[in-house]
Amino acid sequence: MSRQSNRATDSKKMNSELFTLTYGALVTQLCKDYENDEEVNKQLDKMGYNIGVRLIEDFLARSSVGRCHDFRETADVIAKVAFKMYLGITPSVTNWSPAGDEFSLILESNPLVDFVELPDNHSNLVYSNLLCGVLRGALEMVQMAVDVRFAQDTLRGDNVTEIRMKFIKRIEENMPAGDE
Amino acid sequence: MTTRDVPLGTVQIGICSGHVNYPLYIRSVPTQGELKFHYTVHTSLDVVEEKISGVGKALGDQRELYLGLLYPTEDYKVYGYVTNSKVKFVIVVDSSNTSLRDNEIRSMFRKLHNSFTDVMCNPFYNPGDPIQSKAFDSIVSAMMVQAC
Repeated sequence: MSRQSNRATDSKKMNSELFTLTYGALVTQLCKDYENDEEVNKQLDKMGYNIGVRLIEDFLARSSVGRCHDFRETADVIAKVAFKMYLGITPSVTNWSPAGDEFSLILESNPLVDFVELPDNHSNLVYSNLLCGVLRGALEMVQMAVDVRFAQDTLRGDNVTEIRMKFIKRIEENMPAGDE
Repeated sequence: MTTRDVPLGTVQIGICSGHVNYPLYIRSVPTQGELKFHYTVHTSLDVVEEKISGVGKALGDQRELYLGLLYPTEDYKVYGYVTNSKVKFVIVVDSSNTSLRDNEIRSMFRKLHNSFTDVMCNPFYNPGDPIQSKAFDSIVSAMMVQAC
């Protein structure tokens, strides 16, 4: 119980260089292990997914946000609470599709890429692809299937980093057959 | 006016891992006569070595990174800076250039050092490789333009 109360109050500080370098070491090691950038992107996404399905529990316990009523509310919670809590940034939510099922998170700064310059031979690498996996995994655990991808990236010379999120469907809770 | 063509000769960063000195980065404005600058920079490394081994014994652990004017020649002034990890920075300027004082040189070195740190922190850069970072290039270019 004491652990629970700790979680809610303290926002731990972490050295950003250590964080950035740790992530950098991870990505470059993947680049060494897999020759192909596409494969590295896939691995990053998979790792992110595994982080996401766990992190959502921590997030719900700490943030005490309730159930979201629509996708817009979800978007706001992701941008204003989740990103703030874990990365210390607050991306803006824009570019809603007319149907309201797709939006963009615009990151003015991305703490993962602080010192990074992509070499020319890694033009297909989506360096921060881990984030996509985290978002996908986390939302899946709250019954939302989403498609997440990077639309713009400062590493590729764009002005901002843009993460595009598309709502696919609600995942119905499948009850085991014959169990009421 | 012709001498103003070579206001800031070369900016070089040489790394010394163990006792090996080889250049990580050499840049000069203008590019003609670059080879001569390479020579100047390389010879200055010996002076740097001499300075740090002398000072190290005298003062113990505390050492100023900026070494000041290494030696003047007829045409150039050579300044040196050594980090605690023994990375050497050398700036060669035209001796007729009076706009650059000790303080300016010192702050240039500090800026170089900071940008070098950023390069080192890039996970795609392997320590010891020649520096090919575009960000570093542009900072050095800006510095050289300013010095002119």
